[in-house]
Amino acid sequence: MTESNRDDIALETLFAAGRSERPLPSGEFLERVAASADAGAAGPRPAPAARPVLRLALLGRVFAASGLSGAAALGAWIGFVMPEAIDPLTLGSDDTVALATFLPGTDIEAILDE
Amino acid sequence: MEDNAALVAPRADEVPDSALLVAFSNGDAQAGRQLVARLGPMLFGYAARVLGDHGDAEDVVQETMLRLWKMAPDWRQGEAKVTTWAYRVTMNLCTDRLRQRQARPQVALNAVAEPTADLASAVELMTARQRSEMLDAALSVLPDRQRQAVVLRHLEGFSNPEIAEIMDIGVEAVESLTARGKRALKKALYGRREELGFEDDRKQP
Repeated sequence: MTESNRDDIALETLFAAGRSERPLPSGEFLERVAASADAGAAGPRPAPAARPVLRLALLGRVFAASGLSGAAALGAWIGFVMPEAIDPLTLGSDDTVALATFLPGTDIEAILDE
Repeated sequence: MEDNAALVAPRADEVPDSALLVAFSNGDAQAGRQLVARLGPMLFGYAARVLGDHGDAEDVVQETMLRLWKMAPDWRQGEAKVTTWAYRVTMNLCTDRLRQRQARPQVALNAVAEPTADLASAVELMTARQRSEMLDAALSVLPDRQRQAVVLRHLEGFSNPEIAEIMDIGVEAVESLTARGKRALKKALYGRREELGFEDDRKQP
């Protein structure tokens, strides 16, 4: 047998050992990767949850904003559909000027004529 | 260690990887876990051999699987094998790591006690663990592409056409890389013959 053949046999013996002594991952690592499968299967990742304090602050802002705009919208609506209802409460006798303030650009005369 | 071989060898009664991937993309996390159980050990073994570092190998495998989850909705069955795709991603990530690192750490060897006549005799006297360590040491000095090709061919058991697909090169280029890699391995082993305890009785030209 030539030296080269013997070297090839030696190399093949080393490869066989390499196949049997395969580096193996830890169970902890595989579980970590498996957890990423759980997260991935759940669809697109949700945005990270805001911290509780931040969440409360955001909630306050939402209430403030919605309160203001809600009141404004309600006032405008009442003024639009029932101008006579708000007359004695807030506007005194000159409802034309007051309604024009609530609803700029509105044809007050036309509404009152209806 | 027959269990190791079982991790790599596909079984006929198994659900194909591509079917698991489609199930995963439809929200089946258990299918994803099965893919991790199949691919994780294979990719880790490959990356650990190529990188010579288990921590880096973990990072590379985790990144590969995250890319697999991301790609799953676009997977088309029959176009490619999931294992081929996964090995290609892992190989590219390994290449990036090796470039960043510049130099791969060389593996130290424990000297073999009994001097022998030649390499084959020295190998015969070793335990499987010593042989594996010796192989790692020799692999560590190979150029990156040669090491990747040799590991894919002789340790992962891929055919040359499969390696060509993974490495995105021609089959002839694969044959050339593995042949040069084996020559380089022998040269590396002969370079350490004093540590390994054998004589170099090759005829000088």
